[in-house]
Amino acid sequence: MYSRHAQRITPGNKPGKMASRKEGTGSTATSSSSTTGGAGKGKGKGGSGDSAVKQVQIDGLVVLKIIKHYQEEGQGTEVVQGVLLGLVVEDRLEITNCFPFPQHTEDDADFDEVQYQMEMMRSLRHVNIDHLHVGWYQSTYYGSFVTRALLDSQFSYQHAIEESVVLIYDPIKTAQGSLSLKAYRLTPKLMEVCKEKDFSPEALKKANITFEYMFEEVPIVIKNSHLINVLMWELEKKSAVADKHELLSLASSNHLGKNLQLLMDRVDEMSQDIVKYNTYMRNTSKQQQQKHQYQQRRQQENMQRQSRGEPPLPEEDLSKLFKPPQPPARMDSLLIAGQINTYCQNIKEFTAQNLGKLFMAQALQEYNN
Amino acid sequence: VGGRLGNIDEEDTKRVVRSAKDKRFEELTNLIRTIRNAMKIRDVTKCLEEFELLGKAYGKAKSIVDKEGVPRFYIRILADLEDYLNELWEDKEGKKKMNKNNAKALSTLRQKIRKYNRDFESHITSYKQNPEQSADEDAEKNEEDSEGSSDEDEDEDGVSAATFLKKKSEAPSGESRKFLKKMDDEDEDSEDSEDDEDWDTGSTSSDSDSEEEEGKQTALASRFLKKAPTTDEDKKAAEKKREDKAKKKHDRKSKRLDEEEEDNEGGEWERVRGGVPLVKEKPKMFAKGTEITHAVVIKKLNEILQARGKKGTDRAAQIELLQLLVQIAAENNLGEGVIVKIKFNIIASLYDYNPNLATYMKPEMWGKCLDCINELMDILFANPNIFVGENILEESENLHNADQPLRVRGCILTLVERMDEEFTKIMQNTDPHSQEYVEHLKDEAQVCAIIERVQRYLEEKGTTEEVCRIYLLRILHTYYKFDYKAHQRQLTPPEGSSKSEQDQAENEGEDSAVLMERLCKYIYAKDRTDRIRTCAILCHIYHHALHSRWYQARDLMLMSHLQDNIQHADPPVQILYNRTMVQLGICAFRQGLTKDAHNALLDIQSSGRAKELLGQGLLLRSLQERNQEQEKVERRRQVPFHLHINLELLECVYLVSAMLLEIPYMAAHESDARRRMISKQFHHQLRVGERQPLLGPPESMREHVVAASKAMKMGDWKTCHSFIINEKMNGKVWDLFPEADKVRTMLVRKIQEESLRTYLFTYSSVYDSISMETLSDMFELDLPTVHSIISKMIINEELMASLDQPTQTVVMHRTEPTAQQNLALQLAEKLGSLVENNERVFDHKQGTYGGYFRDQKDGYRKNEGYMRRGGYRQQPSQTAY
Repeated sequence: MYSRHAQRITPGNKPGKMASRKEGTGSTATSSSSTTGGAGKGKGKGGSGDSAVKQVQIDGLVVLKIIKHYQEEGQGTEVVQGVLLGLVVEDRLEITNCFPFPQHTEDDADFDEVQYQMEMMRSLRHVNIDHLHVGWYQSTYYGSFVTRALLDSQFSYQHAIEESVVLIYDPIKTAQGSLSLKAYRLTPKLMEVCKEKDFSPEALKKANITFEYMFEEVPIVIKNSHLINVLMWELEKKSAVADKHELLSLASSNHLGKNLQLLMDRVDEMSQDIVKYNTYMRNTSKQQQQKHQYQQRRQQENMQRQSRGEPPLPEEDLSKLFKPPQPPARMDSLLIAGQINTYCQNIKEFTAQNLGKLFMAQALQEYNN
Repeated sequence: VGGRLGNIDEEDTKRVVRSAKDKRFEELTNLIRTIRNAMKIRDVTKCLEEFELLGKAYGKAKSIVDKEGVPRFYIRILADLEDYLNELWEDKEGKKKMNKNNAKALSTLRQKIRKYNRDFESHITSYKQNPEQSADEDAEKNEEDSEGSSDEDEDEDGVSAATFLKKKSEAPSGESRKFLKKMDDEDEDSEDSEDDEDWDTGSTSSDSDSEEEEGKQTALASRFLKKAPTTDEDKKAAEKKREDKAKKKHDRKSKRLDEEEEDNEGGEWERVRGGVPLVKEKPKMFAKGTEITHAVVIKKLNEILQARGKKGTDRAAQIELLQLLVQIAAENNLGEGVIVKIKFNIIASLYDYNPNLATYMKPEMWGKCLDCINELMDILFANPNIFVGENILEESENLHNADQPLRVRGCILTLVERMDEEFTKIMQNTDPHSQEYVEHLKDEAQVCAIIERVQRYLEEKGTTEEVCRIYLLRILHTYYKFDYKAHQRQLTPPEGSSKSEQDQAENEGEDSAVLMERLCKYIYAKDRTDRIRTCAILCHIYHHALHSRWYQARDLMLMSHLQDNIQHADPPVQILYNRTMVQLGICAFRQGLTKDAHNALLDIQSSGRAKELLGQGLLLRSLQERNQEQEKVERRRQVPFHLHINLELLECVYLVSAMLLEIPYMAAHESDARRRMISKQFHHQLRVGERQPLLGPPESMREHVVAASKAMKMGDWKTCHSFIINEKMNGKVWDLFPEADKVRTMLVRKIQEESLRTYLFTYSSVYDSISMETLSDMFELDLPTVHSIISKMIINEELMASLDQPTQTVVMHRTEPTAQQNLALQLAEKLGSLVENNERVFDHKQGTYGGYFRDQKDGYRKNEGYMRRGGYRQQPSQTAY
């Protein structure tokens, strides 16, 4: 069981994009200390400077456990989650262990999650394993993880434990041959906004936050002990060639179609959101006009009264007369935009790879002919 | 009863009258004593009870009171009681202490007595002014008032009775029916409740029944005695009553709320039965030796008629009496005029037999009614010099003067229309699956025959209006019948059939098509009321459609423009319209015009209330949604069973046409995001089919269609065919068509064609080219048909392909976008709308910019216009400022 997973990971035990980028070239760097430079692609740029964590180092064990967890419990759109344990060393977060959240069933509605976590951590401590809570992980379906739920729970984590991260594991990409594991943190800006709990258009404008600066990606390093590395070298030699061919598959339509479909759904949501906002804007301006008219009328009347020598009408509370319409929360649209961004990147990445593969195939064919 | 009463001697009666007076008054005084006792102990409940009894007793004593005047003690108790009650009412403290029952009784009694006393106002005031006045004086005064008060009393006697009386005496025959119809909504509720009341009083006072009976005889007899010599006066009185009633009616409407209580009072008054004595005495109406003359007979007739509609009049006896009168008239050779007049009244009485409009005639009454109408028609045909008409005034009637043409008031047409209604009612109220229904249905022929006779009669004598009405009646009895004979004749041209048969067929009358044509055209030309014409058109269309004359039917429907304004018509006409549309749709289906069929049936089927819309049954709804009233009205609108359109057939036709349209459409637009459903209902059925966890072989008609649709989706026409046309479906649906085989062949052909289209839509992306021959083999269609279908698809740009003539193949162009391309296109579209929305948000921002605070509106508008022209490409530069 474990060996199978190990097999899959060996060629690219690099974090997210790095791995996928290098795969084409067939690099098999497995050094335990290999650092990844181009992490985060701009996402990190916004706030990684003042962030508490600059790098995440993951134990091979954690990766395997996460993959195993999904393999066993996750299916299709269902999402699996778990707790990450580890330590902070300087500006590096080392994740050395994890355990899954049990799957919810309707039978045990009174199941106490916190209780379970505490219990679990105590038990781990007894066997002398790192027991410090440093974040959580979650699987994703075609990269659709930028949701309100994720935001909320990551916020509460980061609020309680400053250096905590969320690991996003994409099983579908992984199945295609490249391990996809990414660590995210909320940017300090977003943290502030979340703390305020004010998602009105003005507040977001003031915070100067856009969908690009919501999450920062933290570079990941996967670290294995030397013994394991040796074992992997050995295994790689023994493994059959066919096992590696998944990543050369030319079939693309299904994946692409799925991505497009999801993207389309989000675009629809975005449209609806905008329409909502539009209505709000219209209502506000209409009310502004009414208010203005009312004020003018008041003024005129008062003038007349004055000329007649009557006392002016008492001032009324305008805000009571014209209750401004409830502004729609903009957080959702931000999230949707973020999600659309993720999808677009996914598609871009995927198509770029596929094009490469196609050219390769063409070249091969020409060569054969 | 009548017989027994008839034997009572005059002296006897007289003797009884005397004792009756004492008895009644004694009864009254007894009751009054109890009331006074109850008053003393403040037992209002008891008071109420006793008061009600008192009212009844007074009602019984009415005839005596009429003669003797209102008894002094009676007025006294009324006045005292009212004072007493008012006192109690004012005493708030005491009221609070009262127990619940008493308090309730108090308020009821107070209301009752107030209303009751209104009739005795003059008496009471006079009593109050001078409580010590002697009884004799009072009696004198009362005598003067008695007439008036009794009139009023009778008015209180239930709404229906009053109106009946009024109507009947004014318009003995047809008129009454009409009026009744108009009134029934108003009257029905009150009528019902009154009926109930009758029951109640009957049961509660059963102990005193025998007594009552006796009292009645005597009272009635005395009344007769009083009345008989002064019929003329009575007549005048009756007229006066009528006027009063007209006035009263208005009051009543306003007093709607109080009606129930009023009815209660009506219950108290019901013993008044002024008419009954006439009836009871009838058999003896002509004393031996009296010379039977027209005048006498007519006087008697009027007397009988006056009893009509009054509460408690024995309607059956009345009919008998009238029949007796006819006999007498016939025996004494009084001439046809009188007989006709009496007959009219007999028929009218027969219709009146049921006080309630909801109930239907009993079979024997119905038979009598038919016979009577037939006899009447016989007389009218035999005596062309008799004129009947509802516009002939009673005064100008000429019943016996043989020199001039006889003129009789009464309308044969209304009688027949009423008869038709009764027939419908009988059919509505018979269980359609019983033998009884068949028995009743046999009368239909008779009804038709009568209508035909009346038609012939009116064609000679009636006005165009009347002719239109009778024609419509005839049409209504013709349009829904499939003319098998004409159909047969069409199928077998004249040379084939033997001569005798042909003659026979000819003898049996013209084709219903010709008949309909003739009748309808007359109505189109002559009718001035819109309703009759509308009905006639609808029936005509229905008839056309029933006989597969699709184009005539459709043209007529389109020319009439009924579709535009049918929603303003009354419900029965709307039901007729719905029926016609359905028939039209079914007709289109038989002709193989699936699209037309679908369109015609869409409205009816999509609502899911076909049953209700066609008047073929009530939907089960919760009780809150419809009250009893509505239900009754709806029930009366139901179409009799023999006119029903088979709902399963209707649904099947609809679903199959939807299938033939929808499946190819679905295949053609599989990846189109904006594809619309042609038929929601069909999709619903498909979904229901998909949701089934376990798919067995189809059982119901719907399951068959769903299974067939699934097969068709795959282009598998053979399976589709076997699902649509098989034993089960034949039995359920297809055999119900007059030309079942023709329909089936049409259907198979349609299935083949549409399956071919579906196949091409679904699998064209798989083929580079496909031979037409293969296709023609696959779908068992001949080559030209395949060729034409494919050509049509190519022309309509449904299929991206071209035909290669020499090799007889279809070459696909393969220009259909792939799934990804389709998705991308959709995405682009969505993004487009997103951008548009975004732009709008931006417009708003622009609008509130830059301090146009004073005339913000204008500035905003200008800006908006500017932005519109500029398009969204300019936005970035705009924001830069």
